[in-house]
Amino acid sequence: MSGKIKTQIEFLVALQDLDLMIKEIEEVKELGFEVKGEGLSSLTRARDELVQKIKKPLLAAYERLRNRYKRAIVPVKDDNCLGCFMKLPTSITAHGRTDKEVLVCENCGRILYWLT
Amino acid sequence: MEKVELVSYFNESLFIPALRARTKEGVLEELVERFVEAKFLRNQTIALEMVHRREQLGSTGIGHGIAIPHGRTTAASEVMIAFGCSKSGVDWQAMDGKPVHLVFMVLAPPQELNNRYLPILGRLVEVLSEAHHRDKFHSVSTYSDFINLLKS
Repeated sequence: MSGKIKTQIEFLVALQDLDLMIKEIEEVKELGFEVKGEGLSSLTRARDELVQKIKKPLLAAYERLRNRYKRAIVPVKDDNCLGCFMKLPTSITAHGRTDKEVLVCENCGRILYWLT
Repeated sequence: MEKVELVSYFNESLFIPALRARTKEGVLEELVERFVEAKFLRNQTIALEMVHRREQLGSTGIGHGIAIPHGRTTAASEVMIAFGCSKSGVDWQAMDGKPVHLVFMVLAPPQELNNRYLPILGRLVEVLSEAHHRDKFHSVSTYSDFINLLKS
């Protein structure tokens, strides 16, 4: 995987972690726990900064997938997509670590990343 | 919120009927330490840092003498709840300003297969919001009494 693509994927994974964290904090707040406004807004600010670093088409794809799935970007383990758990074809797995493009699962459409 | 059976997330080794610590920081440390001793946590420092960070976001003292410190940590491999009771009470900067006597610490891994963490937190809040239920937790001294109370 080329350096630039790898960095973009890393940004996307970080963005997803942040989004899941923000969502969970909001849900915890709904349960009646105290969550100070500045705590949540510091996470939102970090998100805004991260978003600036991600290319627009990739970000748009992520946002589209996020409306559909809890996790838009998922790791690959033993040649399986850890979003839908389907075996990935060799055309994908062979290029996973080396290709110069962002790869998606042919079954569920989630963006894939390989754990190094 | 989905109704969850809480009993299976407790363990006798995570039951402390009389907490030694007298401060909020001390209680957090005592409970995390117990998680580690009982082998439900791999790393005390990481987990303790997480629960402190969570408290900075807002106190987990939900009022009526109850605190539910909680969070996800890479040091945990499954969702578990520890219980500690402080007879003298601990200043937790709770929502109602009252000292905390009952502490339920909920720790979860960053990802879980069945996503039980939030439903567990919700169910715990629900159970403890019932005044008659809540008061009985103050006097439990054995784990079996505690579990029977949870089941009732």
